[in-house]
Amino acid sequence: MSEQRRITSEDLALFAMQLLSKEETAEVAAYLAQSSDARRELAEIQGDLAIYAHTVDLHSPPAQVRERLMKQVAREKKTVPSDRPAVAETRAAEAAVRPGTIFTESGAIVPSYVTEEIAPKRGIAGKVLPWIGWALAAGLALTTGMLYHEREAMRGAVTAQASTIDRLTADAAAARQVMDTMTDRSAMRVTLTKGQTTPVPQGRATYVASKGTLIFLASNLEPLQPGKTYELWLIPAAAGGSPIPAGTFRPDERGNASVIMPPLPKGVEAKAFGVTVEDEGGAATPTQPIILAGE
Amino acid sequence: MYRETGLVNSPPPSAQDDAALLALVQRGDESAMASLFDRYSKVVYSVALRVLRDPASAEDVLQEVFMQIWRNPSGFIATRGSLGGWLAVVARNRSIDALRRKRPSEQVDDMALASNCNLADEAERNSLMEKARGVIRLLPMEQRKTLEMAFFDGLTHSEIAEMTGDPLGTVKTRIRSALTSLRKAFTT
Repeated sequence: MSEQRRITSEDLALFAMQLLSKEETAEVAAYLAQSSDARRELAEIQGDLAIYAHTVDLHSPPAQVRERLMKQVAREKKTVPSDRPAVAETRAAEAAVRPGTIFTESGAIVPSYVTEEIAPKRGIAGKVLPWIGWALAAGLALTTGMLYHEREAMRGAVTAQASTIDRLTADAAAARQVMDTMTDRSAMRVTLTKGQTTPVPQGRATYVASKGTLIFLASNLEPLQPGKTYELWLIPAAAGGSPIPAGTFRPDERGNASVIMPPLPKGVEAKAFGVTVEDEGGAATPTQPIILAGE
Repeated sequence: MYRETGLVNSPPPSAQDDAALLALVQRGDESAMASLFDRYSKVVYSVALRVLRDPASAEDVLQEVFMQIWRNPSGFIATRGSLGGWLAVVARNRSIDALRRKRPSEQVDDMALASNCNLADEAERNSLMEKARGVIRLLPMEQRKTLEMAFFDGLTHSEIAEMTGDPLGTVKTRIRSALTSLRKAFTT
């Protein structure tokens, strides 16, 4: 060091203790950058200062300081690749034989005085994790947008469906009222005739061939013997067509009965309807005589 | 030295050298961190307390220095047997920064330190302390006082010169001479 005119060992000692002005510090740093001897001398001075620091009177820190530290350590748990220590030790060994150098976390051996320019020492995880964070944020934003649009579409569909349901519910309620009125055993049924004629058994069929729907209402029917039932028949219009059973029914105590929407094939044009008395459970072919008939 | 199995079949922490403990710390071993703390916290705290003269502030420096080890142990591994010396100097610098109310002026691992002393061993550490104190006691009063003002009080050579009335060059020489005496005592 003595060969250097401007930067002396005294300056390096002051530099090591951070007692130089800003300008002087920059000047010494620049000198260190180009002189390995100066770096070696600086390391020696740091060693001297380390020894001097040990002349201090010793005091034990309070016990809670250790506790606080270990809590902080636990809070900052870390995950380190398993091969790093081996690499680090190898680099440490290299650095140990090269005074004035240190090795960085990335494994590079560099002069100690330039490491502040490499300040952000981050491993692969340190480099990748921030990007993963941004990628997750972008993905989250995209997903959120998609979810928003899906939600809006579903909201529209639900609104439309709700409207349909309301309409169908109203229709169903009206149909139910019709059905209830026609099939209610307590309903008052009156057959209107001209003059003071005695009511006779009669039935009224309403049939829609294309839909296969049929409503049959009867009144003033005679009571049946036990084990017997009335059966309604559809006589097809087509030539040679056999009568089609259209449901069995028993009249109530006032002689009223109904057959509502029996299972029938669609598209069968009817020539006539007839009612017979059959054994309970119905028959495949009508049994004579025909009690009621109409075309 | 120690493989994936960690501390299994390894010597007790007290017998492990600094590099081994730092390697374990690098793997996230909290017990290794505790061992380092137990080994060096007294020196770090004492240096900080000497500079700051305030226990609470010294505790903060102690916490800060050891957390730096935990966060970046690779910055210390190169120090090997001189980790204790390194920590002592870092504790002093951090304390001076705190005294000046300024941000830390250097990264811990920016500093290279040459040392032949194995401060990891408590007996050797105690021996070094006694020897260093003896050397300092034998220094001329001016040298001893000047070095103390510079190192522990963080006074610049200009401030020391102003306070003592000595020329700047004299102050610088006294500091350097005191350190040279210390080095000689440990190299012979």
